[in-house]
Amino acid sequence: MAGFVPPPAPPAPPAPPKPDEKVDYLDLPCPIPYEEIHREALMSLKPELFEGMRFDFTKGLNQKFSLSHSVFMGPTEIPSQSSETIKIPTAHYEFGANFIDPKLMLFGRILTDGRLNARVKCDLTENLTLKANAQLTSEPHMSHGMVNFDYKGGDYRTQLQLGNGALFGASYIQSVTPYLSLGGEVFWAGQHRKSGIGYAARYNTDKMVATGQVASTGMVALSYVQKVSEKVSLASDFMYNYMSRDVTASFGYDYILRQCRLRGKIDSNGCTAAFLEERLNMGLNFILSAEIDHRKKDYKFGFGLTVGE
Amino acid sequence: MASRVSVKGKGKSIKGSKDGSEGHSTAKCLKDWSNWALKKAKVITHYGFIPMVIIIGMNSEPKPQLYQLLSPV
Repeated sequence: MAGFVPPPAPPAPPAPPKPDEKVDYLDLPCPIPYEEIHREALMSLKPELFEGMRFDFTKGLNQKFSLSHSVFMGPTEIPSQSSETIKIPTAHYEFGANFIDPKLMLFGRILTDGRLNARVKCDLTENLTLKANAQLTSEPHMSHGMVNFDYKGGDYRTQLQLGNGALFGASYIQSVTPYLSLGGEVFWAGQHRKSGIGYAARYNTDKMVATGQVASTGMVALSYVQKVSEKVSLASDFMYNYMSRDVTASFGYDYILRQCRLRGKIDSNGCTAAFLEERLNMGLNFILSAEIDHRKKDYKFGFGLTVGE
Repeated sequence: MASRVSVKGKGKSIKGSKDGSEGHSTAKCLKDWSNWALKKAKVITHYGFIPMVIIIGMNSEPKPQLYQLLSPV
């Protein structure tokens, strides 16, 4: 009996799991949808830059329904074969109607040249969502439409995509730990005879988000966003195409202050941009946009006013 | 007009191959029918989407008045 080693004391009764100790792998949070994996980086690094004058007026008729009128005057770039940028001065008026309900969202915009931009988002059941997106024009063969079916599980999301021109796509993303989620996608474009497969990973904590994406089309995209404080976040982005040997790196900042939101970025293509939204009054926003491309010698400046919530 | 011409052209080829395999003509019929349906759906969406959103919005609670649709206030 003397040589008998007493059994080790039983482990202490399980304390409530502290945030940095025990991870319940059966109760992980639902991940971000696959197409929004670069969301924070896109918000900081790709604001809606424009050139010219823009005026938006949104009028709410009730909580769910609103109409919008928008005027734009300025040069629009058209794609050209040579390295020179060709700009054509355009002016258009856009009328829009939005209906936003917890279960159904309808968004329609029509321009003076007859182009319609429509989006529908409908919650068919609690976990299944239908989204449809269409850009219709009067010209033949220039219209596009796409329908997505999204299913949200406990800690995963899947999406099936059907588009015109025999476009099929599917994606799946799964939370692996409370901070890390991994996903993949496949797509097949019948009209262009292309198919591809891609993988993505996203690691996010309260203070930072790091994402990486690889696709068989040759694209590798990495991004990192750090939330320095409540008001400031910094973002950086690296895109590499191993087929065409194209590399772009950009670095940007996002200041969300009480009266304004300022976003700026600088690129390895010699392009620097800034976007300011200043809140002059309740419902009145003043917008300034600037994009300077030193390599192509293309300077774009825009200003605008947004009225309405 | 363009859609009518194309349907007529395909009709002629269907008649020519009808004594051939029946399977081919049903597949072609289905394809023509779905093309026609998609074209009509595109036109209907193009003209009718915004009026549909407005009608749904005007019938939601609390019901807005008709003059609010046009006035800038």
